[in-house]
Amino acid sequence: MTHPAAASQPATPPALQAIGISKAFLSGKLHTQVLEDFSLRIEAGELTLISGPSGCGKSTLLAILSGLQKVDGGRVLALGSELGQLDLRALERFRLQHTGFVFQGFNLFPALSAFEQVELPLNHMGLSRDEARARARRSLEEVGMAPRMKLRPSELSGGEKQRVAIARALAKEPELLFADEPTSALDAANGQMIIDILHRIAHTHGTTVLCVSHDPRVVVHADRVLAMEDGRILSDRRTHVPTNDSKVT
Amino acid sequence: MVALARKTLIYEWRRFLPAMLAVGFAGLLQLLQLALVLGIFGSTSVYITGSSADVWVGYPGTQNVGSGRTIDPDVESRILMDPAVQRVEPYDWVDGDWRGPHETGGISVFVSGIDPSPEGLMFSKALSPSLRARLAEPDAVIVDRSVLGQLGVNIGETATINGHQVTVVGISSGLRALGGVNVLTSLATARQLDGDPSDNGPTYLVAKLHDPEQADAVAARLRGDTAFGPYTTWSARDFARLSVRYWMFDTGAGAGVLFLAGIVFLVGAVITSQTLIAAVNGSMREYATLNALGVGVAALRRVVLEQAFWVGALGLLGAGLLGVLLMLLAHSQDVPVVLNVPAALACIILVMGLAAVSGLAAMRSLRRADPATLLR
Repeated sequence: MTHPAAASQPATPPALQAIGISKAFLSGKLHTQVLEDFSLRIEAGELTLISGPSGCGKSTLLAILSGLQKVDGGRVLALGSELGQLDLRALERFRLQHTGFVFQGFNLFPALSAFEQVELPLNHMGLSRDEARARARRSLEEVGMAPRMKLRPSELSGGEKQRVAIARALAKEPELLFADEPTSALDAANGQMIIDILHRIAHTHGTTVLCVSHDPRVVVHADRVLAMEDGRILSDRRTHVPTNDSKVT
Repeated sequence: MVALARKTLIYEWRRFLPAMLAVGFAGLLQLLQLALVLGIFGSTSVYITGSSADVWVGYPGTQNVGSGRTIDPDVESRILMDPAVQRVEPYDWVDGDWRGPHETGGISVFVSGIDPSPEGLMFSKALSPSLRARLAEPDAVIVDRSVLGQLGVNIGETATINGHQVTVVGISSGLRALGGVNVLTSLATARQLDGDPSDNGPTYLVAKLHDPEQADAVAARLRGDTAFGPYTTWSARDFARLSVRYWMFDTGAGAGVLFLAGIVFLVGAVITSQTLIAAVNGSMREYATLNALGVGVAALRRVVLEQAFWVGALGLLGAGLLGVLLMLLAHSQDVPVVLNVPAALACIILVMGLAAVSGLAAMRSLRRADPATLLR
């Protein structure tokens, strides 16, 4: 059972907190307990990496912490809101206001230009047209895609597509950014660039970036690395910040 | 606002093409079917719509023009007594057996005995004054261009009706009949062709009013007087409707039309919804990503519905263009096709309804756009 030291960092409230959560899946007659009595704190403004072999529960954890999946038991606090108490609409609203997502597949609409991909979610945030466009442009500039923002996904490389996907998440100016294997479909150079961007977002925008990956290159750049296996945290390591490593197993 | 629905429709038009074709052909099929039915059954009231009479007088209970019985000739004076009436003339309907000069066998004809004078009301819209005047000759008949082959005659040739010799003096157009052939002749000739000795009056009396707007009121006023034997009155519009309705519903043809409309709707909706569902499935990951970013399911549904709307509108446009061409072709070939505003509206409603139903079906498949599935 993992009980991270919630009392050891009382100064600032965590951006994300899981308290004794459990989650099981039923596929056919097979009951798989993915998480059981699992607790975790994710600090604000850091790039936190969860790594581990496939099937260890890291994607499920990401889905739960980001409000995409409900827990069977326990509580999830995101920016002080208890996600379990929000209905579907309220969850959508929470995600709209506070979260960004970057997925392994870039999931860009084939018909839209890079600029429109980024602008589209902003349209739904109640921003004015000009504000939405200004944000979209800024965001694309930040990931170095401004010169290619008129192009459609079919005219972009994999790395460029992922940068557009990051810009789409970033333009919302979210407090929480979730990334699921963002580099696994990319070559070394592009993967490195994506990691750099995610790291920069955490540090310049103060965004809490939670990344799930087994890419060793990401490990080097993360502020904190959680190694997971069989639904448990095996190790919890801080890299850049000079604090003591704290084993929580 | 980024026009996701329209941009996707344009960019991936190949994907949406089957839906547009399905909608378009469903619309076209429905349009032509309605136009044909209206054209064919509309011809059952051509006696009324092709004439300038405002009020019709006939035997009570008559269900359509072709099933009239004779009324007392004295009714004419009763009608003329009404100050609103400008002119009254008799109209005789005689069922005849046509024997042409060539080998055509016996043909059932509907003989219309009309007043050939220039101010005659019957078929005033279908016959030119000069053509009409030719009927003044004894035993002269006019037949429609579309049935010349069927009757085996041409202008100037003779034939017999009910054993009585007649001469074709003219050819009309647009006077097709349903279940027989229209033959126009003078009242005098018609009476000679009528083999039934008990028929001693006109089948109908038709009246022109000083003010055609009064048709309903005058028809109501003239009704119910039994002093001259049984008769009743209709305004021309009511009698035309009665005739068309009789053919549409009492013959089962209307049910056929509705049945086919249902089939067309069903087939169109199945193809269209399947195409739209495939299009939604093709963008499922993108929709799920938008939902993960907080774009509500309701907004995504609107995108799908908007696509369905455009598919319907574009299909309708194609059907409309092709429909006009085919209608022109039909007109040039004497195929009776008629399209009016209610019929066109019915087609539009059917097609857009089809698109809407398909859109709703496709919307349901959005339920699978669960962003959690992107994290596997």
